[in-house]
Amino acid sequence: MIPHDFLTLHTAKTVEYLIAVSYLLLFIPFWRFVNARPKPDAAAAAVARPAAATQWFTLPEGLFYHPGHAWLRVEGPDTVAVGVDEFVGKLVGAPSAFRLPRVGAAVVQGEPAWSLVVDGRSIDMLSPVEGTVVAVNDAIAESPSLAHQQPYADGWLLKVRSAKVASSLKQLLTGRLARRWIEDVAERLHGDLTPALGRVSEDGGVLVDGLARVLQPDTWDDVARRFLLTEQRADSAAGAPASQGGHHA
Amino acid sequence: MNSTSLRVAPRAWIFDKVLMGMAPDAYVRSLFTPFNLVAALILAAGVPAIIYRFAYGLGAVTNLSQVNPWGLWIGLDVLCGVALAAGGFTLAATVYIFGLKEYHAVVRPAVLTGFLGYVFVVIGLLVDLGRPWKLPVPIVYSFGTTSVMFEVAWCVCLYNFVLFLEFLPAALEWLGLRKAREWAMRLTIGLTVFGVMLSTLHQSSLGALFLLTPEKMHPLWYSPFIPIYFFVSALIAGLGMVIFESSLSHRLFRSQLDPHAHVDLDRITLGLGKAASILLFAYFFIRLQGLADSQAWALLNTPCGHWYLFEMFGFILLPCFLFAYGVRHRKTTLVRVTAAWTVLGVVVYRLNVSIVAFNWNVATPYVPSWIEILTSVTIITIGVLTFRWIVNRMPILREHPAYREAH
Repeated sequence: MIPHDFLTLHTAKTVEYLIAVSYLLLFIPFWRFVNARPKPDAAAAAVARPAAATQWFTLPEGLFYHPGHAWLRVEGPDTVAVGVDEFVGKLVGAPSAFRLPRVGAAVVQGEPAWSLVVDGRSIDMLSPVEGTVVAVNDAIAESPSLAHQQPYADGWLLKVRSAKVASSLKQLLTGRLARRWIEDVAERLHGDLTPALGRVSEDGGVLVDGLARVLQPDTWDDVARRFLLTEQRADSAAGAPASQGGHHA
Repeated sequence: MNSTSLRVAPRAWIFDKVLMGMAPDAYVRSLFTPFNLVAALILAAGVPAIIYRFAYGLGAVTNLSQVNPWGLWIGLDVLCGVALAAGGFTLAATVYIFGLKEYHAVVRPAVLTGFLGYVFVVIGLLVDLGRPWKLPVPIVYSFGTTSVMFEVAWCVCLYNFVLFLEFLPAALEWLGLRKAREWAMRLTIGLTVFGVMLSTLHQSSLGALFLLTPEKMHPLWYSPFIPIYFFVSALIAGLGMVIFESSLSHRLFRSQLDPHAHVDLDRITLGLGKAASILLFAYFFIRLQGLADSQAWALLNTPCGHWYLFEMFGFILLPCFLFAYGVRHRKTTLVRVTAAWTVLGVVVYRLNVSIVAFNWNVATPYVPSWIEILTSVTIITIGVLTFRWIVNRMPILREHPAYREAH
């Protein structure tokens, strides 16, 4: 039986409307799927609970912080994971590369262990622990901005085996002390950089990434070294040839 | 003394610019590579084939006929070439109009790909049309204002000019012409807007050509929405090409990259992959609309229908989800492989429309001759060689040190 033309047209239009509505409905879960980050593993989830020390920086509970803005997470009796805190990203923006030590290299607490490269300028950072590097995060080599986007989870830098985990931890900040420290740092940042920052904070605004680069375009790397506690080392190293031993991530 | 310096200067200039600082014999020695050997063999066979075509006409070298007047050259060199060159206007609009500056590092390679893509589209078209001296006719005095071809001719001509101007700053930086470069840079926004307009027009017009021949097209591929399909698939192909080609360029031209101005290509790749994924998702549904409109459901269970379904699911829905999965889990290699697959998918779509679905029911279906295939391969090879010649010399993948402040 040949269906009536009008009914045929009617069916085709109904199907077209159904396709259009299906698209709109299915786009919602699709959009959520594309934009969502996968759930971090249990260990990372435990530390990913942000505890806002200030309006600007998150310092997850359960981590230990070095005043040079490196964090440490205890992963085993003699193994720790190490990364950079959120402040670093706020200060200098997303690094374009990391120069990390190789597996097997020794790191010493409070001594330069790796450097980050932003806008072609290299800035050293201090190790929060003493020991031997047993793993380097390959994902950082692929995508250095990971350390900026997920500083406390997938953006870790090194795993270090250390016989002195307990004594290393004594030198680090955690809990209430860490929050006090980051508040002090925020205060110093407030004072050190230009008055423009004052307006930002009074407005309750969010800090832009790479604040030092925005406010001090010429000398931002010196500002960064001052906050990352490698300023004097950079001065003393000036004129000396650059280290060749690093693993350029 | 003056005359000496005048004599020396051009030689030094040629060594510096064209021979990349090498002495002539060293430069010639550097050309002996396996890639160049293969390219030389292709050119040795292909260039005489092109000359032969111009000397003896289409009938002598192609399997084209009155029934099948458009073949591989139109399907591949023109329709696919224009789609793959769409990265130029897509990325220029992304960076200069929408202000997503983080994609700046891939604009120049995308514009260069677009420019060379269109130049070689015109060359491919000329090989098909013949009588190249007639090329300016539709531009100068024979206005066929009711013809889609007329609009395509004008758009492609103007867009070639726009792409040339967009590419010009890199060439002027290479030649050290600072003043001219500043002048060219001032045109950027205007050229980008003009480029987007022209691309929207002719990308869709190439699809509109097939609206003239509904009775010759397979119902599964014929749709009144073909112009929209051509435009959206061009955006997808453009993004795919930029992802694929930028990762390839960064691998092949590693020496070009300044280690201190490291570009986070992964972030760019993931961002473009996300855009491609969302476009593919929408594209799948608008293709479905065409199917619903044609009511050709019964044809799905035929050999042509199976191929159609394979295109829809294998080349549209599959890469859509592979992109989404890759972006979500930050798997850049997956995104890059998917980009190559997506580009292939758009090529398959264009060839489906222009060759598989076109004249699908005639007694003698068209199969390209070996000279047609050789000619297409030759034109693509010359395009790749030109791209490499330019990238090796001009600041495409790297910033020119003297103009770093300006970016």
